[in-house]
Amino acid sequence: MNKKGIVALVFLSILIFTLSVFIGPRLIVPFKLDETAKEIIISIRLPRIIVSILVGAALGSTGAILQGILRNPLADPYILGLSSGAALTAALGLLFNNMFLGLFTLPAFAFLGAIAAGIAVGTLGQKKGNLLPERLLLAGVGLGFLFSAVLMLAMILSTDEGLRRATLWLFGDLSMADWPLIPYGLAFILLGFGLSLWRAKGLNALMLGDEVAYSLGFSPSKERWILFIASGLMTAASVSLGGVVGFIGLLIPHIIRSFVGSDNRVLIPMSALAGGALLCAADTIGRTVAAPMELPSGIITAIIGAPYFLYLLKKKDLLGAS
Amino acid sequence: MKALDLKNICFSYGKSDFIHGMTMTVSEGDFIGLIGVNGSGKSTMLKLAAGMFKPHSGHINLRGRPIGCYKGKERARLISYLPQTLSFNIPLRVKEFIAMGLYPHDLPPRLSLKDALETAGLYGKANSYMTELSGGERRRAYIAMTLLQGASILLMDEPLANLDIKYQIELIKLLGTLRDEKGITVIMALHDINMMFQFDVLHVINGGQLVASGAPSEIVTGELLEKTFDIDIKTFREMYSFAPLNQIDRRGKDFFL
Repeated sequence: MNKKGIVALVFLSILIFTLSVFIGPRLIVPFKLDETAKEIIISIRLPRIIVSILVGAALGSTGAILQGILRNPLADPYILGLSSGAALTAALGLLFNNMFLGLFTLPAFAFLGAIAAGIAVGTLGQKKGNLLPERLLLAGVGLGFLFSAVLMLAMILSTDEGLRRATLWLFGDLSMADWPLIPYGLAFILLGFGLSLWRAKGLNALMLGDEVAYSLGFSPSKERWILFIASGLMTAASVSLGGVVGFIGLLIPHIIRSFVGSDNRVLIPMSALAGGALLCAADTIGRTVAAPMELPSGIITAIIGAPYFLYLLKKKDLLGAS
Repeated sequence: MKALDLKNICFSYGKSDFIHGMTMTVSEGDFIGLIGVNGSGKSTMLKLAAGMFKPHSGHINLRGRPIGCYKGKERARLISYLPQTLSFNIPLRVKEFIAMGLYPHDLPPRLSLKDALETAGLYGKANSYMTELSGGERRRAYIAMTLLQGASILLMDEPLANLDIKYQIELIKLLGTLRDEKGITVIMALHDINMMFQFDVLHVINGGQLVASGAPSEIVTGELLEKTFDIDIKTFREMYSFAPLNQIDRRGKDFFL
């Protein structure tokens, strides 16, 4: 384990979080805060920064968990179709113009859709009560395609403006971030994160195969269910807070693994931190560089992260001996 | 009290029974070999004994208590199981991997990580990645992890497979020493006829049934081998009439009919 790497990452993250408060379409000088500046920070920037950190952290840690339980380096938080489920219910909810929950409508629909999709994937991915990694993966990919197809169909058939808005929102837009949503997102993400840290040893044991995990005193089926539920909660909460943000969930765990190794007790929290820092940085850049226009943070995370990931891939053997 | 007590075990993977009413008792300190062809039920018996599968009928007691009544960690401190097929894409360093044997323990065990590495002949490879090891080295790493786990009953499914003869002999010797000094119990499934005589007791399994058990020198006959392995003992003698068999020849005269 690379202690220097961990310390560096923690410092870098704190730096990013601090800078993001002051950088934006309007540069704020920390020592000369006037009323407008305070207002901008409290009602616009802070909620947005918190949401970006929450979403990024949820994606980073969920990616690490799912790559572990699915035994697949290509797994990311969206591979099990939860995001497609969220997109579909959010869009259908808007189609019927049910804004009865006000600000909460879209997030609530998205969250419920993701949870429903998670239950469907879990039901299809199990046999006699055991979650089977390959089966779970195929069920997720299959259901994801189905949900996306129905959503496409709805979009083609409908001329509703709201639907277009919902679809755009689901592709990674943090501009709707606002204080009232944060406690709910925080609660679900903390719950999932806590569960996954609690079972991180079990996830390590699962890397050795079910039989060896059993021999070490774990119940592979129980460990997988708990971790699946943890990742489902975090994915659902992150989609409902900030839509679908690519790259972080897939590649952050690989990048972090190359620094700290594969012990999930370290990998999961570090992936959360790095995911939060990257999305926070990307969102700060996205709302600053082309102001007043905003660039979706998903694009920026990929533009910053992908070249770095490819560099690491060339330098180290990321998937095997990392 | 028996270390393990399996009574009238019936078990099936599908519709028809695969294990037919097998009974096997294991005392503390036993050194047992399970012999049989592929698909005879050796691995299934080991998994049943480890508590991984529940039998359809019969019961399995670990130190006098039904194995299902133990908590995971508690069980893992008493009994460990090393499967035949080992994962190969483990993204850990050898020392990290072996240290996972400590997972069931809250207190440090009797064997240190250094000892385990040395025993497995992997001391120089402690910082290598598991993916960089050869097949035999990987198997030794698993064995080292099992030893570090420190359970006193070891169930090992073909642990000698793809080991160099040197390490086959060393593993058998090491297990013998651990048995003598620490009273561990070993049940090992194996294929190698040459190794059979290293065990105190052999259980011969065929078609999900126990067809013979006892000391190797008492039960191993040409007839038994012909039946168990479905071979013609004369052809076998012609093909294998070299060194290892000379030793067997000396140990049991009735080996060759």
